[in-house]
Amino acid sequence: MRVAVAEDGALFRQGLVMLLEAAGHEVVACEAGGDPLVAQLSRIPADVALLDIRMPPEPDGGLVTAEKLRAAHPDMGLLFLSHYAESHYLMRILEIGTEGIGYRLKEKVGSVEVLSDTLTRIAAGEIVIEPELAKRLVERPRSDKRDLVATLSERERDVLKLMAEGRSNNGIASTLYVSGKAVEKHVANIFDKLGLQADTSANHRRVLAVLQYLRSQRGDG
Amino acid sequence: MTLGDELERGRRCADRWRSRRGLEQRLHDGPALRLSALSLRVGLLRSGQRDSAWEQGLDEVADEIGAALQELREVAAAIYPPLLDEAGLGPALRELVSASGACARIDAVATRCGTAAEGAAYFATAACLAQAGGGDMTVRVRVDGGDLVLTLEGVDPALRDVVLDEAGPLGGSVTVADSTNQTTTITGRFPCV
Repeated sequence: MRVAVAEDGALFRQGLVMLLEAAGHEVVACEAGGDPLVAQLSRIPADVALLDIRMPPEPDGGLVTAEKLRAAHPDMGLLFLSHYAESHYLMRILEIGTEGIGYRLKEKVGSVEVLSDTLTRIAAGEIVIEPELAKRLVERPRSDKRDLVATLSERERDVLKLMAEGRSNNGIASTLYVSGKAVEKHVANIFDKLGLQADTSANHRRVLAVLQYLRSQRGDG
Repeated sequence: MTLGDELERGRRCADRWRSRRGLEQRLHDGPALRLSALSLRVGLLRSGQRDSAWEQGLDEVADEIGAALQELREVAAAIYPPLLDEAGLGPALRELVSASGACARIDAVATRCGTAAEGAAYFATAACLAQAGGGDMTVRVRVDGGDLVLTLEGVDPALRDVVLDEAGPLGGSVTVADSTNQTTTITGRFPCV
C-alpha cells in the first residue's frame, strides 16, 4: 500500500516509517507538518495518509490537513494517530468523513499486524475507531442498555444504516424515494428512541446514533 | 474573616500541596517504576533465546509500555487537561463527563478565557463532580464583564468552598443562591487574566 505520513515528532515519525516499511508498505511522503504533506500529495498518489492530530499548523493541524486532503482526494483513506483518545476529536473526525477514516492511539498500532490491519480496513472504506473510545461513547451511564437499535422500526433502521454509510438527509431521501421531511422525521425518531438528548448538537447525535448502529452490527457490548 | 475561616483556608492550602506531592508520587510509583523494570526486561530479552517465550516476553513489554503511557496520560490530565488548552472549557468538561460517566449537562459558550480562568473553572467543576455523587448537575459557562462565570445548578451548598479554592487565588468570587436548601446554585466568577 502507498502511505503518506505527517507527524511533527521526529522520533515517532522515524519509528512509524520503519514499521510501515517492515510491514511491506511504500512510504511515498513523510513530512513534519500538514501543509507540506498536502503539497506533496498534490503530485504523488497515496492510498492512506497517516496524520498526527496535534501538529503544525497548530493547534490541531491533523484535522485541517484531513479536510484539505478529503476535498482534494476523496478516495484517499485517512488515519489519525494521537497520544489521546478523546470523543471531542472523534466527533470532529467523523464530521470530515465516515468512510475510509480511522482514529487510533499511537501505541496501539505498534505492531506490523495491527498497523496493516488498520490500514487495510481504512483503504477498504471502513471506519476504524479506537475500541476503548467507541465503547465509552455508546455506553450511556445508568441506563438500560438493552439493544436500543432493536426498538427501531424497519424504515428507521434503513435510515440509520444509510446514516452510517455517511449519507446526508437528502442522500437518504433520494435512496429511499421519500421526501426530505420524512427523513427528518425518521432521524428525529431515531434520536429519540436511542435516547440521544436534545442538548447535544445534531451532528454529535448523528454520530452517536451511527456508533450505536455499528456496535449493534458487530454484536458486542 | 473569622479564625475558623482562616483555619479552614489553611487546611485547604495544605491539601493542595498534598495533592501536588501525590502527583509526584504517582509518577514515581507508576510510569517511572514501570519503565525502570522494562529496561531490565529488555536487557534480559536481548540475551535470551529467540523462542516462543521470547516472543511472549516482547508482547508483555508492549503491554507494559501501553500501561506506562496510560498512567502518564492520567497524571497529565490531573495537571492540565490537553483538551482544555486545545479546544476550551466546553469540550474538556464534556470529555470529563463522558469519560467518568458522571450525570451532568454542560452548557458552555465557545469564547476562550485564558489558561488560568479556564484551568481554575475546570478543576472547580471536576472537584464538584467528584464530590456530587449521583445527583443531576447542570454546568453553565458564560463570559460577563471580563469574568468567566461558572454556574453549577443542583449542587450541595457546601461545595461553595471547593469553587472558592479555585476562584479565590485569581481574585474571583463565589455566591450561593440559597445555602439552606439541600441542593442549590453556586456561581463562581473567574477573572480572565
